[in-house]
Amino acid sequence: MADGGDKNMTDLNLGHHISRQFNEELEDVRNKVLQMGGIVEEQLEKAVGCLVRGDTELAREVVSSDYRVNMIEVDIDEECTRIVARRQPAASDLRLVMAVIKTITDLERIGDEAKRIARMAQDELAGTMTEDVRQEIEHMGELVREMLRTILDAFARIDVETAVQVVEADVKVDTKYVSITRQLVTYMAQDPKMIPEILNILWAARALERIGDRCENIAEYIFYLVKGRDLRHLSKEDELAEMSAAAKQGKESN
Amino acid sequence: MNDSQATAAAPEAPAADEKIAVQVRNLDLYYDRTVQALYDINLDIPDRKVTAFIGPSGCGKSTLLRCFNRMNDLIDDCVIEGKIIIEGKNIQKKKIDVAELRRQVGMVFQKPNPFPKSIYENVAYGLRIQGINKRRVLEDTVEWALKGAALWDEVKDRLQEPAFGLSGGQQQRLVIARAIAVQPKVILLDEPCSALDPISTLKIEELIHELKEDYTIIIVTHNMQQAARVSDKTAFMYLGKMIEYGVTDQIFTNPQEKRTEDYITGRYG
Amino acid sequence: MTSFRKKVKVKASHLDSFGYWVKTGAPWVWINAAAVSASVMLVVGLLLLIAVRGMGHFWPSEVVELTYIEDNGQPHVISGKVRDSEEVEAQRLTESGLDVPDNVETFERILFKTANRDVTGQDFRWILSYRIQEQSTPPEMVVLERTEWGDFIGRVEAVEESGKTITTDDAWALFLERLDRADELREEIKELERGEIGAINYQLERLRLDRRELELDGVMDPTAYAGIERQEEELHARYRELEARLGDLYREIRRDAVRMRTSDGEEVQLQLANIVDGWRPNSMNLAQQLGHYVYKAWMFVSDDPREANTEGGIFPAIYGTILMVLLMSVVVAPFGVVAGVYLREYAKQGLLTRTIRIAVNNLAGVPSIVYGVFGLGFFVYTLGGSIDQLFFEAALPSPTFGTGGLFWASLTLALLTLPVVIVSTEEGLSRIPRSIREGSLALGATKWETLWRTIIPMASPGIMTGLILAVARAAGEVAPLMLVGVVKLAPSLPLDGNYPFLHPERKFMHLGFHIYDVGFQSPNVEAARPLVYATALLLVVVIVLLNMLAIHIRNGLREKYKGLES
Repeated sequence: MADGGDKNMTDLNLGHHISRQFNEELEDVRNKVLQMGGIVEEQLEKAVGCLVRGDTELAREVVSSDYRVNMIEVDIDEECTRIVARRQPAASDLRLVMAVIKTITDLERIGDEAKRIARMAQDELAGTMTEDVRQEIEHMGELVREMLRTILDAFARIDVETAVQVVEADVKVDTKYVSITRQLVTYMAQDPKMIPEILNILWAARALERIGDRCENIAEYIFYLVKGRDLRHLSKEDELAEMSAAAKQGKESN
Repeated sequence: MNDSQATAAAPEAPAADEKIAVQVRNLDLYYDRTVQALYDINLDIPDRKVTAFIGPSGCGKSTLLRCFNRMNDLIDDCVIEGKIIIEGKNIQKKKIDVAELRRQVGMVFQKPNPFPKSIYENVAYGLRIQGINKRRVLEDTVEWALKGAALWDEVKDRLQEPAFGLSGGQQQRLVIARAIAVQPKVILLDEPCSALDPISTLKIEELIHELKEDYTIIIVTHNMQQAARVSDKTAFMYLGKMIEYGVTDQIFTNPQEKRTEDYITGRYG
Repeated sequence: MTSFRKKVKVKASHLDSFGYWVKTGAPWVWINAAAVSASVMLVVGLLLLIAVRGMGHFWPSEVVELTYIEDNGQPHVISGKVRDSEEVEAQRLTESGLDVPDNVETFERILFKTANRDVTGQDFRWILSYRIQEQSTPPEMVVLERTEWGDFIGRVEAVEESGKTITTDDAWALFLERLDRADELREEIKELERGEIGAINYQLERLRLDRRELELDGVMDPTAYAGIERQEEELHARYRELEARLGDLYREIRRDAVRMRTSDGEEVQLQLANIVDGWRPNSMNLAQQLGHYVYKAWMFVSDDPREANTEGGIFPAIYGTILMVLLMSVVVAPFGVVAGVYLREYAKQGLLTRTIRIAVNNLAGVPSIVYGVFGLGFFVYTLGGSIDQLFFEAALPSPTFGTGGLFWASLTLALLTLPVVIVSTEEGLSRIPRSIREGSLALGATKWETLWRTIIPMASPGIMTGLILAVARAAGEVAPLMLVGVVKLAPSLPLDGNYPFLHPERKFMHLGFHIYDVGFQSPNVEAARPLVYATALLLVVVIVLLNMLAIHIRNGLREKYKGLES
């Protein structure tokens, strides 16, 4: 792969089409995805914030801003359809469009999860939470937010190496989720009257864990976009191994 | 060459038990004895599959195609080195009967080129060349070939009319019928649809799909979508070199070579 | 806004300017149109001139009888046809010793065809119109066309049979009746002479050659000679028989004669055997005139020439011209096509081929008389001489192929037109798209099969165009033919009923040469002038017909291979 294999993670050459129009269309789609990611990130931040601090006003904002995410998803969807119909993209262009279509679905779901968290926060859970749980949740929220931010960054730069970090981070989130669950189960056993409230907190933690999974999905899409191989439905260890190997290879050839 | 070896080792490499129709080994071609047009081409073209050659103009794909039935003999000072093995014979050898080779390896050209004769005589041309003049045999073969080219129903009532009366798409199918009438093993198509409208193009593509049941088909095309639609394997050529050769699905979703990628996605490399 | 208006105004005036007019190309179109119309007018004018001058010859123009004051002041009755008239200045007449009335500046001078060359010694005379006293067109005036001495103009006095006058009310009707009889007899005599006696002579000649051959071979066996002698005997017997019959016919035809009286009262006795036709132009109505016209025109194209080509028809010349052109086409077509095919398809396109091509093109520009010289030197003397030595030794020293003839003339013209055919063949071949060749080759056809089955048929319209040009040029060529076989009067046609029917060694007549001969070499130039025009017209017609035939064939081929130009 000495001369032919210099195609690496960041070097997809999206801007080098002979048709400038096509360049602009692809760039536009990517920008919109990033814009959508920005909104979702903000939503997540606010949702976690109000969950931790019990800010019901902020929660209402999160719920009401969800329509913006939906609208932008429809918009990008349409644009991708148009590109497929008119440009018949092939190879990396095709993979980019496919990745975008899948990514925005996951982003929209992340938005939905954030809305769910915000709904629960409106029930003033903060008061019922013990300090250690609150800290755990806050920490998990931090981790997930970091994952989302990183994956958006990876998407922006189309960078497998950064995407690998997200897959690694998901392991931490999963661990965190298990520990929070165990803790909450203990609380439920101690005080059965609190079970409905604790269940709500559990749901919120579950939502955060789901967001982590979806970030990992996006990481897989980025990998597909760059390498043209589908890593879904592999065991986590295999996936990680493949990804980091590919990332390392890309780095070396640089 | 480095590239082609690399692609041969690609994950989607062809199954080992696949029968090979045309084998190209270390093929170099020079025009005017000095200008090299093809560089060390190595290629295994599978039997009864459609293989597409794509690449920018002047990349040598038509030149390579014309090697398979020695059409390049028509060009003065065209020197070819290396081997092309069809049916177990190296067709580059001097003592090969070129007429016989061309009967085995039919060819269809860019522009429909029916002869100024009747539809019937066009299809019967190759047979008459072989000295077959029995009415019954000719009639049966003409009908069979026209049916094979999906043209019979459109022309069966006017076989004696001049072929120039047909539409472009019909003419091209007539030319294909003319080619299959002599029952070749391999059919070479040199940009067969470049002069046709989209519907005629689709008809030809459908025909190609049917023909691969019985014939090995090699098609040169400028239209990448067409290559993607009709072919089982695709070879990308650039500046006389075979850059990448692989299963069509892989070439069009995940090419291994940057130059292939650039060409397929319409980038300047 | 104002400046914009100003600009528009400037532009409008610009449209009217001369410079703009030149730029539109209009002058160019006008020049082209002018050139085309000039050419068309020249061609039409030429054809019209030839047609009018030539076609008028056969019209039965009226015979005028007039009383003319001769130079000695005596009145004299003459009759004839007005052929031409011109204005002459009085001074020129006085200078030539004629006394003319004073105070008149110009006089009309008339060219009067008086005919009766045997009586007056001249066919034509100039007369001055002011000296004509009386003028009439008597309906009984007769014009007789004779086998010798030209026409006769006068009145029918009486018809004689075996020297005795036949008394009748209507001498003219009787004359016509007897003329018909004479015509039939003449026809019979001609058939006998040309047909049977001609065949016997031909066979006798062949027998003579056979005998000579045997002698040359040194055969001493008397039986061989005996066979020839027996045959000769038979032929001689047949000949004597026919001769007797011929004698009878001659006696029969000489039985009748007609007594004619000229306008000045002289009586002449004419043998009906010598009279071809007779008519009374002054008493003809339009239908009769037309009928006469068509009949005469037909005789012109279908009859043999008489009187050093100045009378009669020109059939042998037409025949010779067409036969020569056809023979030339048969020779030049395969040679030209083969050469063109080789140069375009087989020869390596290098310096040598290019040189040959240039040479061929230049050959087309060589003056035709040079070809004549070459034909005489190479074909006639060298080739023909050798052929005579090898195959026709018996006939020597009289040459067979060693002298000009139809075959050598055709070959010479074939050589002359070869470049045209080669060039057009090459052009026709180069116009066949490469895809057609490749299509054929890709089906397993060899190069030869491709050429033979596809390329040459497709190029045939182009080849035919070359042949058309060749025919047009060959039919009009005279100069080289004079050296290689054309004669002013050929004794027999080159294609006749005697085995082997086509006699390529014979000399032949040609329309172009006929024009030259009649126009400039005949003893009676004045009388022959209309014939020159008529022959020229016929030559044009023959060339046009030959061309139309070729064009018809070409169009058929084009139709067959149409679609090629797409």
